[in-house]
Amino acid sequence: MNAVIMNTPVYMQALDNLLQVYGLRKTFGERLLFDVPELSLKHGQSYVLTGSNGSGKTTLLRILAGLEPAQINSLYFAGRVVPAPKICTQLAPRVIYLHQHPYLFSTSVAANIAYGLKASGLNLRQRDAKVNAAMQWAGVQYLAQIPPHKLSGGEKQRVALARAKVLNPEILLLDEPTANLDEEARQQVIALIRKMCDDNHCVVIATHDPELMALKDAVKLRLENASLQTQ
Amino acid sequence: MPLLNTTLEALRLLFSWDATLWGTILISVKVCFLALLIAAPLAIALGFVLATYRFPGRRLAIVLVQTLLALPTVVIGLILYMMLSRLGPFGELHLLFTQQAMVIGEAILAFPILAALTLAAVQAVDERVAETARTLGAGHLRSAMTILLEVRFAVMAAIVSGFGRVISEIGCAMMVGGNIAGVTRNITTTIALETSKGEFVQGIALGIVLVVIALAINIGLAVLQGRGGLR
Ligand SMILES: Nc1ncnc2c1ncn2[C@@H]1O[C@H](COP(=O)(O)OP(=O)(O)OP(=O)(O)O)[C@@H](O)[C@H]1O
Ligand SMILES: [Mg+2]
Repeated sequence: MNAVIMNTPVYMQALDNLLQVYGLRKTFGERLLFDVPELSLKHGQSYVLTGSNGSGKTTLLRILAGLEPAQINSLYFAGRVVPAPKICTQLAPRVIYLHQHPYLFSTSVAANIAYGLKASGLNLRQRDAKVNAAMQWAGVQYLAQIPPHKLSGGEKQRVALARAKVLNPEILLLDEPTANLDEEARQQVIALIRKMCDDNHCVVIATHDPELMALKDAVKLRLENASLQTQ
Repeated sequence: MPLLNTTLEALRLLFSWDATLWGTILISVKVCFLALLIAAPLAIALGFVLATYRFPGRRLAIVLVQTLLALPTVVIGLILYMMLSRLGPFGELHLLFTQQAMVIGEAILAFPILAALTLAAVQAVDERVAETARTLGAGHLRSAMTILLEVRFAVMAAIVSGFGRVISEIGCAMMVGGNIAGVTRNITTTIALETSKGEFVQGIALGIVLVVIALAINIGLAVLQGRGGLR
């Protein structure tokens, strides 16, 4: 059914934990941003991460993607140890972080979506088929001829989702994907996120958006007073 | 009106496709292109590394690049002359007063401007470019290429500026080229020589060529800067 479960050592499957982090602390100089003794993300489970402005949601997601250094005692992905400084090199693109304002490379929409596939070494024909499917999935075929920097915020967000989705990530870390979008764009993005969750990706969404916070079956995480609570 | 008459005569000389005159122009252009071909890949790579990685000696390397940039071309010509002269460390190669020596000299002159401008361009690039590349699974080399592609107009502007510095300088070309007619005599050394003989027609003709080149370079730079400013 899913590649991850098949690849996961048998003794780990019972635990069902895709990512486990122990002893995670982030400080900026003297200031402790958060101290999380344990965090596990389960395969196929979705999570919404809330917390007031400046509580560290963005920072936490970036740490999990390996884009930001932090103090970590141990980290396991699919049962295997991953050294903290190697998170990004070893886990990308199985774990993908999406910026609140995604950056689209100044090539074309299709080339953006093909980017990770190229890095993974697929040939042109295999790439084209996947890119077309992903563009259809995100409803962005009509944007194919527009230079990426001219797209609206919602369109950029959808292209960025397609660019990640095409790589079939096991964990997708979304940073306020619906912030600053008008109602129509927001609904389009939420629909795509729902599809990702239904497709059994582990999606972690940092958000202030009530509709995303109420996402069906999502585990609710909250950053407050430098600690992470599960509600 | 001696100036007007000489200028008219210079134009006549240019458009009569005078073989000596155009041969001189060709030597200048050829030396410039070869010098840039050698300097550009190395300088762009160095500029990228200095902008991206933190390592011991980085500050010193940046200071050296900037010093090289500020050095009069005649000093670089002098140093290279001593290196290539019969008793110098590279005297065995018999390169002094050849086109190859000019290419080496001009490559050294183009190097710091290319490296410094690439450094500035890469330093100014949005952090999300590298982060997006890495989280989508790109390795170091692919991320580097992605970043350079994002700042391609600035890199092209650097190359154009390098061409401008090299085509218009006289000190180094004179010192290591030796101003040999038909071999190492280029636009600038011809102007100096002819003027010192009291002959102005060739000098003005070649001066017009340099003005046209300078104009083309600056139009090119303006276009590139306009393109780079799209985002
Ligand atoms: N490089 C840094 N140096 C010092 N402090 C930093 C640095 N980066 C982030 N911070 C601080 O860390 C805190 C957490 O920032 P973060 O962006 O993770 O919060 P957030 O929960 O995502 O907030 P928001 O809801 O506004 O997006 C902020 O107070 C910020 O000022
Ligand atoms: Mg944030």
